[in-house]
Amino acid sequence: MSSDLSAAARRQSLALTIFLVVQSLASVFFLGDVIADLRSDPDSVHFLFEALVTATLILGVIFGAFALRRTLETLREQEAALEVARGALGAVIEAQFQAWGLTPAERDVGLLALKGLDVAEIAELRGAAQGTVRAQLTRIYSKAGVSGRAQFAAFFVEDLLGEGLPKAKAG
Amino acid sequence: MTVLPLRKDEPAPDAGTPPTLWDPVVRLTHWSVAMIVLLNGLWTKGGGALHVALGWVAMSILALRLIWGLIGPREARFSAFPPHPVAALRHLGQLARGRPGLHGSHNPAGAMMAYVLWACLAVLIGTGLVLSGGRTPMQVAADQAAVAAGDWSVLVASSDGQGDDQDGATLRHLAEEVHEVTSSLILFLAALHVAGVAVESLALRRNLLAPMVLGRRGRRRG
Repeated sequence: MSSDLSAAARRQSLALTIFLVVQSLASVFFLGDVIADLRSDPDSVHFLFEALVTATLILGVIFGAFALRRTLETLREQEAALEVARGALGAVIEAQFQAWGLTPAERDVGLLALKGLDVAEIAELRGAAQGTVRAQLTRIYSKAGVSGRAQFAAFFVEDLLGEGLPKAKAG
Repeated sequence: MTVLPLRKDEPAPDAGTPPTLWDPVVRLTHWSVAMIVLLNGLWTKGGGALHVALGWVAMSILALRLIWGLIGPREARFSAFPPHPVAALRHLGQLARGRPGLHGSHNPAGAMMAYVLWACLAVLIGTGLVLSGGRTPMQVAADQAAVAAGDWSVLVASSDGQGDDQDGATLRHLAEEVHEVTSSLILFLAALHVAGVAVESLALRRNLLAPMVLGRRGRRRG
């Protein structure tokens, strides 16, 4: 969802950049033409008109550059906010694991389970027997007071959903 | 913030690490100038319409990059990489010992390279304008077409247009010398720049080319 958003903004900023490059090309070529006219015939209406067009083009480049910078900064802020959200969720999970009194090994297994890996994958990643991982998961679920993997994951999703659910529960 | 390996990639870039992806203006101006320097330095015929046109394109690209250096995002602005020869030498010393520091924008040596390359470009463009009599590529093409069609009068007109013959000829001769020396210099510096990026990337174990192309692959995760 968010990556689509930033991909769109990225495409938009690239398009703006290409537009800006073409605009600068046009400005410089026009400027050269204006200077050539200035040397030959500075009083003609043609020269005045062309000078006006060129000045407008150059202003356009500068305003376009400002607009592009704003787009890029917005994009960067969005990405930073996303990073913070990710980091915050990580902190929440860490604190909760500590509150449940999980051992370091259980924390690692719990985290991998949250990331959606199944028992076989976790076992392979940790170089442990599947039975060991299964036993660790059982201990994690019992320490957390949840019935199984689905409830374990839901515990943290609830945090992500913010104030909505608990209030509904209370009411 | 957290010791958990929740995400495999690096932490968000702060002031001390180079960007993982340069902004599109920096990338586009970088590669188009690189291409024009190679084309005009090695391939196009000096004084030809194509050579002059590419020179004008380089002039606009350079102008855009310089404007961007004033109003662009933080790491693209001159203030993020001020010209500082002493810091550049210090950085090269660190590099020689294999431990270069990280910088928020270009490293000090890279920054000096950028400024020197821009200066060379400006000199090439300036002398090129003197040599082509300030004519736009369209005029150059038109004049060339006229000469090809047998109308040699434009040649007389353009040498008359230089004003005082003696001074004009001396200026043109000087401009030609400077243009040629600088074009060799910029090709040499560009090669040095590529070597510098390669060495720095090895020393930092960090791909410095990717941010100038498309950024890290697989950067956009869900």
